[in-house]
Amino acid sequence: MLVHNDFPEDLETPVEYFDSWLTPVDRFFVRQHLPRPKVDAATYRLKVHGLVNSPLELSLDDLKKFAQVKVPATLECAGNGRGNFKPKIPGLQWTKGAIGNAEWRGVRVADLLKKAGVKPEAKFGTANGMDVGAGKTPDFIRSVPLRKLLHESTIIALEMNGQPLPELHGFPARLIVPGWDGASWVKWVNDLQLAPESDKGFYFATAYKYPNFSVGPGGAAKPEEMEVLEGMAVVSFFSKPLDQAKVKIGAVPVMGVAFGGEHRITRVEVSADGGAKWVDAKLGAENFQFAWRTFTHEFKASKKGYYTLCCRATDSAGRVQPIEAEWNPSGYLWNAVDRIGITVEG
Amino acid sequence: MRPLFCLLLLSSALFAADPAMVEKGRAEEKRACGGCHGLRIIHIQRLNRGQWDREITKMVGWGTVVKEREALLEYLVASYGDDKPAAPLARSADGSKKP
Repeated sequence: MLVHNDFPEDLETPVEYFDSWLTPVDRFFVRQHLPRPKVDAATYRLKVHGLVNSPLELSLDDLKKFAQVKVPATLECAGNGRGNFKPKIPGLQWTKGAIGNAEWRGVRVADLLKKAGVKPEAKFGTANGMDVGAGKTPDFIRSVPLRKLLHESTIIALEMNGQPLPELHGFPARLIVPGWDGASWVKWVNDLQLAPESDKGFYFATAYKYPNFSVGPGGAAKPEEMEVLEGMAVVSFFSKPLDQAKVKIGAVPVMGVAFGGEHRITRVEVSADGGAKWVDAKLGAENFQFAWRTFTHEFKASKKGYYTLCCRATDSAGRVQPIEAEWNPSGYLWNAVDRIGITVEG
Repeated sequence: MRPLFCLLLLSSALFAADPAMVEKGRAEEKRACGGCHGLRIIHIQRLNRGQWDREITKMVGWGTVVKEREALLEYLVASYGDDKPAAPLARSADGSKKP
């Protein structure tokens, strides 16, 4: 893994591990705002309270008694690719690997809320995890609109790729908000409060917002011009060959992944001449709304030389990756056409 | 010496960071920042003076006590300014279990 921070750990997946539909747990990127808590599974409780008729306090065993559903979904940090923006932007300098795909298994939030009985005034669910920051560091708290919380694929996950959630990924429970930025996927979640308004803390009211107009490189927007991120941009990444690889004349296997947030990937194109000509790549068989899609292609290298390979994805909403990602003050949603260089040796 | 060369020398002397100040800033980083989080998250960034200044302000707001603010800023700009080459990322040896 590429180490962006040691304490708490912030780890990026090298792109060569984007070679399978499911990302292995120990190759899955890690983002932590605050040091992770030590959780005692025996005393763990998830509280569902606020604007509900019957507040709940559920142990892990209680959660396991609800219907367990499996949701394949891609998790991507809103700041994935921030390191590629110019001018530079403060924050983790992710290159391409703050993204991964897993099968999450757990309880539908809708089932929990049905049992609790949501009052009509409730518009948001505010999720808090057990992690706590030093000093006056704001607590990591995120709100999710009720319409998204009630979606059949929004779950409290207890498992990731068939095993209990690892500590780094939120043991024992993590909110899964498919198609939305990783910030919404609150780890170590133990509190869900239904409320008429969203949270006013730093991590919801200030962070993870995007300007409602294009500010241009280095530009700024007023607080009232910033909107909460909902959904992700369409994006794709090469897994193989690696950037600056040397290959032999002949068939060069090309592969990668593409993700469209709440939208399915419908097309991935590959260019071997810097984007002058494009051909369709072959899409992988796994095709789920909230999960990335793999793609493969065979580049027939008939002549030695240096080649610039590009890939660009299209999703079911008709969104196509741009040549340049839109610069924004926090460096979110980087999604420029991916580009690598390879040398074909004679 | 030619005038242009003299000007360049003068400019670099004016803008070169004071080594003592930078060392003081390095110690301040360890003291003021290292208690709450790893320093690598700082060292991977390349920001201009204004951006580093705002980062310090943010962290002071979040509770850290900075005693040598000017030195800390000089150290950050001199070491991790936006004119410095990107930092190569370290690779962990055993997946995401341990960095």
